[in-house]
Order: sequence, then C-alpha cells, then structure tokens
Amino acid sequence: MVTGVIRTIILYLLIIIGIRIMGKRQVGELEPSELVLDLMIADLAVVPMQDFGIPLAAGILPIITLLCVTMILSILTMKSVRFRALICGRPSIVIANGILNQKAMARNRFTIDELNEEFRMQGYTDFSLVKYAILETNGRVSVIPYASEHPVTASQMNLKTQEPGIPMVIINDGHLLEHNMRSRNLDPQWLSQQLKACGVSSPKDIFLLSVDECDQVYCARKELPHT
Amino acid sequence: MKQLIATFLLLTLIISGCLVSASFLGQLTQHTTDLLAQAELSAESGDWATAKKRTTQAEEFWNSNQLFLYALLRHEDVDSVLGGFREINELIDCQEGGGEYSAANARLVTEIQLLYEMEQLTLLNLL
Repeated sequence: MVTGVIRTIILYLLIIIGIRIMGKRQVGELEPSELVLDLMIADLAVVPMQDFGIPLAAGILPIITLLCVTMILSILTMKSVRFRALICGRPSIVIANGILNQKAMARNRFTIDELNEEFRMQGYTDFSLVKYAILETNGRVSVIPYASEHPVTASQMNLKTQEPGIPMVIINDGHLLEHNMRSRNLDPQWLSQQLKACGVSSPKDIFLLSVDECDQVYCARKELPHT
Repeated sequence: MKQLIATFLLLTLIISGCLVSASFLGQLTQHTTDLLAQAELSAESGDWATAKKRTTQAEEFWNSNQLFLYALLRHEDVDSVLGGFREINELIDCQEGGGEYSAANARLVTEIQLLYEMEQLTLLNLL
C-alpha cells in the first residue's frame, strides 16, 4: 500500500507541475487539444497508481511525452495562424446581422436549444436583440447585441468618473503582505494608522485590508471564533 | 523559441532513452538466452553439472539487472521469468526427464525473447 501512496504523490505532483507549466486556463475554456490532454493524463496517471504491477515509468513517460507534444503544439499555434486554425479550429458566426446562419449551426452540430441556453446564460431572451453570435473554439458563444441594446455607459451620459485602479491586498487573513506595501510606497506608519482606524492593534486581527490607487481603504476585521 | 527547443530536446531525450533502454534490454536478453542455450546443449549431452552452472549464471545475470527490469517492464512478466528459472533449476537438480527440462527451458527462452520483442520499435508492436 505504501507503494501506492508514494506513486500517487509522485504522479499527482507531476500532473500539477505539468498543468502549471501549460498555462492558466479554466477548465470550461479548454481548447479541444487541451481537453484531450487532460483526459489522457488523468487516465494515464490512474493506471500505475492502482496497478502496482505496472512500472511507474509506464505512467510518467507518456505523461511527460504528452506535455511535451502539447507544449510544442501550443508554441506552434502561437507562431502560426494557419496552424492555430488547424489545431483549435476557427470561430463560427452563427448569427450575422441578426440572421441565423443555419449552415454554420449544422456544420458545428449546434442546436437552437443550445444557442438559446447560451443566450439565456448571458441575459438575452430575445433573438432580435442580437446582432452577432459567435461560436468560439472553446465551445462558448460570444453574444454581441445591437448598439441600441448596449447598456448606457458613464461616458455616453457625460458623467465624470474616478479611476480607482486595482485594489492591492495589504493584509490577507492576518498575514501582512510587505511586498504589496512596498509596491504602493506605503510605510509602517500608514499601516499603524489604518489598524488604529479599524480598531485593532495587530495585523493578525485583520481578515482583509486593501487599498486602491485613490488611497481608498477597505478593512474587514477577523470574526471572533465560534464557541 | 527557447521553450520550443527545450521541449524538443526533452522529447528527443525521452525517445533516445527509450531506444537505448530497448537496446540494453536486447543485450541483456541475448546474453541470458545464450547461456540458457548452452545449458540446454550440456543437458542434452548428459553434462548436468555444466547445465546447472550455465543456468545459475543466466539467473544471476538476469537478477543483477532487476532494478532496470522492474523499472521498465511489467512486474508480472519479470516475475514470470524468475518463476521459469526456479522451474528449470528444479528439473536440473532432479537430473531426470530431459524432455521436460527442454520444454521448460524453451518456454523460458521464448518468454525472455518476447520481453525484448515487446520493447522493439516495430510495425507489429505499433499495431
């Protein structure tokens, strides 16, 4: 059994490192080649984990080979548009200028129910509001409504808005992130002021403290443990 | 570009490693089966002592590469070869039933040769 445990740890770490090297895509946004890779890796890793009669190398070598091939393919798809189209496919326009392209839908075996579902998920219930719908290579549908259906923006209403920028986390669950403090040119004096304003004496009592580019501070104290 | 070259190198290293290990397995199985063939000839001429000596040499040589064998081949197949060695050693110790010994020895030689053939890059294996 110890063999199984150690094998599991080795294979798990190998897969985590491999997937980490491959990139940061979400599971729902996998390209076809990435989906195939994930399915095959999962299957390859499980066999030597369960069957101790199979050498560990029989699981590790195919996984590394798969990762290498995928890495080569992904670099080549970055370099060549044609190669990208060959491996990942091309997006299909299923609605162009408000007209359903039934041929494109049939070619992609994409049903009207699936299109309806995608529209509903993106908040559209009426086909007549949509100018373009594009079936992306990862299987998701991008919906572009008519200009008249776009939400009104602040600039269209001539409203002045402030750019708060990205809030930087300074304290995360009691841990002071000194690197983030330095990157915002904040000193310990500023920190002690903020702690005082929050009514605590130590960063350990703070659950989240963040500051945006307009020096707007958000502070959340730690909740008392349940008894 | 560096990533692409590094990945190609790693892939080449894996393929080369597999070919080298297949070649090493070829030498290993060749030497073992040669010793077993010599043992067979000795047993046929009634020289059971030499047959025993050659078989023991073959078994020791095979066992000295156990780490390599278990790392690359199915453990079941390697265990089966060890079982084969035990069987022919017992038959030699009895020094009787030459036909039975010959059959067991031939079975072991075939088993070892098949292990090598299984690792070869051939159309037969690919299919």
